[in-house]
Amino acid sequence: MSPGAPTDMSPTDSAVKLNGVTKIFTQWQRDNTGKSLLRNLLKPEKRVITALDQVSFEIRKGEFVAYAGPNGAGKSTTMKLLSGMLIPTSGSISVLGMSPQKQRCALMRSLGVLFGNRTELWWDHPVIQSFEWKKVVWDIPDALYRKNLAMVTELLDLGDLLNTFAREMSLGQRMRADLALLLLHSPALILLDEPTLGLDVMAKRQMIRFLKQLNAQAGTTIVVTSHDMDDLEEMAQRILLLADGKIAFDGSFAALRAELGCTRKAIVDFHNGARKEISYQDTNILLRELSRLEGIANVSFTQMSLEEGLANLFVKWRNAPEKLNSYVKADQHVR
Amino acid sequence: MADRITLKRIIKLLAISAKLDLTWLLRDAKLALLAIGGDIVNNVAIASGVFLIAARFGGIGDMSADEVLFMLAYSTMITGIFALFGSGNNIHISRIIGRGQLEHLFIQPLPLFTQLVTSGFAPFTGGGNLIVGICLMVIAGKRLDLHITPWWILSLITYLLTTLVTIIARSYFAASAAFYAPVAAEEISSVAIDETWFLSTFPLGGMPQAIQIPLLTILPEGLMAWYPSLCLLGKSPLHLTAYYPMLYALLIALAARAVFRKGLRYYVTRGSNRYVPYGFRR
Repeated sequence: MSPGAPTDMSPTDSAVKLNGVTKIFTQWQRDNTGKSLLRNLLKPEKRVITALDQVSFEIRKGEFVAYAGPNGAGKSTTMKLLSGMLIPTSGSISVLGMSPQKQRCALMRSLGVLFGNRTELWWDHPVIQSFEWKKVVWDIPDALYRKNLAMVTELLDLGDLLNTFAREMSLGQRMRADLALLLLHSPALILLDEPTLGLDVMAKRQMIRFLKQLNAQAGTTIVVTSHDMDDLEEMAQRILLLADGKIAFDGSFAALRAELGCTRKAIVDFHNGARKEISYQDTNILLRELSRLEGIANVSFTQMSLEEGLANLFVKWRNAPEKLNSYVKADQHVR
Repeated sequence: MADRITLKRIIKLLAISAKLDLTWLLRDAKLALLAIGGDIVNNVAIASGVFLIAARFGGIGDMSADEVLFMLAYSTMITGIFALFGSGNNIHISRIIGRGQLEHLFIQPLPLFTQLVTSGFAPFTGGGNLIVGICLMVIAGKRLDLHITPWWILSLITYLLTTLVTIIARSYFAASAAFYAPVAAEEISSVAIDETWFLSTFPLGGMPQAIQIPLLTILPEGLMAWYPSLCLLGKSPLHLTAYYPMLYALLIALAARAVFRKGLRYYVTRGSNRYVPYGFRR
């Protein structure tokens, strides 16, 4: 890549910037009739799918962002656009101040990409061999390689796995090794597409803990997609919610909970058999409320899960798409 | 982390591919040696069959038995070089395209060309045929009493590279179909490459021009060993120029480049709706 190659943005502290990005795909269509078969021979019927529709957002360096949405919302498409695997139909994309399409090679030195259902490990070689391959292909200096190898070995508990052949590892072990491989060149930005897919509770906990630590201590910018909202809420500080190819929400998880009505509830049972429900966000407010009440026999707490709230919301959007825009950038101030 | 692709960097990339090849071989050396041995026996058998026919009948077409041996040596060397540099599906490229695995290449900080040139280098598992081919070439050269000069060796290397370019270009030309039909065309490179081997060990000298000409143009089997061998022996066939294989290689390489780039553009615009995890990393 020539040093003078054009970039899509000015140098800022922005890690990712999408400006009016649209990505359109076409899908083949055919019903099961002979007439349709013949018609498709002459003129194939295609449907236009807008995977991303004028999407704009910015992620600053050091942020840990969850990129969520239902199946087919455009999450993986965004990840592929950011990592230069696809080019947008329109709009501009900047990743670490570079264009993924025009400056792919230079960008890949600072970017780490991991798809949960894929591996970059060499299948018939021990893990350490894949690490050595990466060192050569990424041209990682010796000192940096040794430092990062020691770091990932310790933090991801890879000691016993380094000499194990990739094909003989469990899914959780393989994901840890893949994550370690991803980090060997000290990427400034990490894109993780469904990294916890298929992992058991233990492996998931370990991965989440590690990612949080990486973000907090090394300041690595992380963008992660997942269907598991609990995982995302635990990991990320900010959520970008995608629905039908549009950014439907951009803000904190607390703001999303409030938006969805997923507030916590205290259910108070009284000695006289009466029951009262108190919705609250702040525990101090709840305690004040409770102190005013008399004759309390029992207090129990419930909370609607984010997933439940989102499921309701997605159904609402599907039935009335015009309502979608009312949630857009509902909580911009938290950025 | 330099951006430029220097010779030193290429050598390092070839070296890591070679190391991976060696460690793969040594993982289960018994089975690997059996496979390599079998491969060599297979190639020697193919060459022997044609040579024995030539020896029995005092040559085939316009070629003597020793000239046929020379041609077989050339063909075996081509097979050897192919196996030496093409062991990572980098020449059977339709597999990578059809399985949606190009994305693994996109995330490496190297130009695609560099990755494809260096990733299939397998001197330990793929070098056997080249050694057999060189041995056959030495035997044939002695029997033909060839006057070997540096210029002749340079010509041999040029013809070998030309033949290799023709094979690779043909594979990439056909493989471009996998951008549009990933499932149907996943193995199209294998078909294109295998076809080049079928007739490559048979001299086309005795055949009518109606067969020879298509085999030097549409399906260039005649350019795999027969035509270059005769050129190296100073007997350009069909009164054509000795530079014809180079011209053909250039044209098919340019055509393959154009078609492949168009397909690649289609791939990064439309994306692949198929991903198969096997066969990418050995």
